[in-house]
Amino acid sequence: MKELQKFGYPIFFAVMAVLPHLLDDRWQAVAITFLIFAVVALSQDIILGKCGMFNMGQALFFGMGAYTTAILNNEFGWSIIATIPLAILIPAIIGALLAGPIVHLRGDYLLVVTIGFNIVFVQVLQNNLGGVTGGPNGIFGLDSLSFLGFDLTSQVAVYYFAFIVLLLTLWLMRNLANSKTGRAMHYLREDQLAAESIGINTRIYKIFAFSIGAGIAGLAGTVFATQYSAVSPEAFEFIQSVLFFSIVLIGGSSFPGVLLGVFVMFVLPEIFREFATWRYLIFGFAMIAAMILRPRGIVPATFGKIPKFLIKGGSHVE
Amino acid sequence: MDTFLQQLANGLTIGSMFALVALGYTMVYGVMRLINFAHGDMVAASAFVGLTIYTQVLGQAVSLGAVLTIFLLSALVMAGVGVVLERLAYRPLREAPRLSAVVSALGASLVIQNGIMLIWGPRMRIFPELVPQVYWDFGGVVISLIQVIILALSLVLMVALYLFVEKTRIGAAIRASYIDQDAARLMGINVNSIIALIFIIGSSLGAVGGLFIGLYYRGITFNMGWQYGLYAFIAAILGGIGNIPGAMLGGMLLGLFKAFIEGYVSSTWADAFTFILLILILIVRPTGILGERVAEKV
Repeated sequence: MKELQKFGYPIFFAVMAVLPHLLDDRWQAVAITFLIFAVVALSQDIILGKCGMFNMGQALFFGMGAYTTAILNNEFGWSIIATIPLAILIPAIIGALLAGPIVHLRGDYLLVVTIGFNIVFVQVLQNNLGGVTGGPNGIFGLDSLSFLGFDLTSQVAVYYFAFIVLLLTLWLMRNLANSKTGRAMHYLREDQLAAESIGINTRIYKIFAFSIGAGIAGLAGTVFATQYSAVSPEAFEFIQSVLFFSIVLIGGSSFPGVLLGVFVMFVLPEIFREFATWRYLIFGFAMIAAMILRPRGIVPATFGKIPKFLIKGGSHVE
Repeated sequence: MDTFLQQLANGLTIGSMFALVALGYTMVYGVMRLINFAHGDMVAASAFVGLTIYTQVLGQAVSLGAVLTIFLLSALVMAGVGVVLERLAYRPLREAPRLSAVVSALGASLVIQNGIMLIWGPRMRIFPELVPQVYWDFGGVVISLIQVIILALSLVLMVALYLFVEKTRIGAAIRASYIDQDAARLMGINVNSIIALIFIIGSSLGAVGGLFIGLYYRGITFNMGWQYGLYAFIAAILGGIGNIPGAMLGGMLLGLFKAFIEGYVSSTWADAFTFILLILILIVRPTGILGERVAEKV
């Protein structure tokens, strides 16, 4: 693990930094998709992996960010960059408001309620509430990226936009893990009762985790809307949430694990296109096998700097 | 008034289908504390199995015997699938963290759903007309023979299940496994057999539910399982998850709720209203209508 951190990450970032210049158009698009979904999966990881809340509605916040950007651009003529603050804030605030009444629910109930939120959200989009969501077709023909008068139409620009968002997310998650907040989240994930008894306000931290996760997913939504210059309801169906949920758990809630999960779910199908119809059947078997062979995920997350010999029976106790 | 009575009849029909499917969820959850996400897809698979039995085995004959054969064979096939599913995807994970089993269940759901797609194709198939199109008109309220059959057969099955669980020795063993698996094991109950039995009962009731969906809506698609599964799961939560009469009551109430929303408010918003109802119920009374409040084990 230490070697990986020393050499693996710099190599990964270096490769990702030059990647678009080595790829043709089609693979650039795949690489952008990889980056966007990696950000969404990491935002899901804050809620599900780090904080232990069974959230199966992350596509809602992803979609909310994308639609915020699309509506502000399409209806009000804001540039894509100018929509970013609201595309983060609106999902973050809605995330906190939605989480408020439900975070006390036990695991499975929380899971079903978040599925419910996601389905209500998609139905709102499809029924064109307020006449701004464009109904089942969504919104298309968004402006391309521009910043300080520079026109950044090319796909490479979108790639670097997505890459910067991923780096920001990772930086934020690293800081979170090393902070008081991150430790509080970790304890409440391990044992909520124990966390409460040492004075951690679990309710506040849970709502905070939801809010942060929603904000990051919203930002990823902006990138998504930019990549396709369009948004439509089916991109944010709850089956997407199921995929993000599974990626985090199969990956083991660690950075390499989550990235591997995103790679397997979204990039491999592009490489093996002839097996497209078999895609989900194979994924299904892989999910079962992965969980039976490695119930804590492919690359289980470790927390803090406690030496291994001090931890009885592994670092994670359910 | 006509709309009211008509939607009452429709609501009871779809409610009894929800209830049959909800029983599978609630029984599995009661013993294993696991949402069996694959259950909805098993329900969908049953409709396709029924279709194949009708065309391949019975040569498209329609008679009372043929209908009974389709129901029995489909239930048998799905019971087998249920047992295999539990053995391969859930049993190895019984001691694992709970989320691992949830992911395994989601994987099983994808496998079954896409298995249906690969076998029967991605397009909508039409379920055979097994029951003659007979309608009765009660002064503007139309009730079909299919609705009567669905309601009657569902009630018979539910009463039978209730009596089985409450009055027999095996039923007592099921109830004991609900309360405490370890204690049940100490009393000499083979919990593995009980879990297999629960999957047999749940899957065959779900199979009947799937055939009803085929009979009532006629069009069946490979991915319809998620939708009916979610509704049935909501029904199970509504009644109090793990509670068998609760699932029946929850199914009926949810069916009526959906029918009245579709009749009086709007059919395009039915899903949204259903989930808002669920969210409100969970906020106000998380244990459901008939569920008992259990102290969290520490």
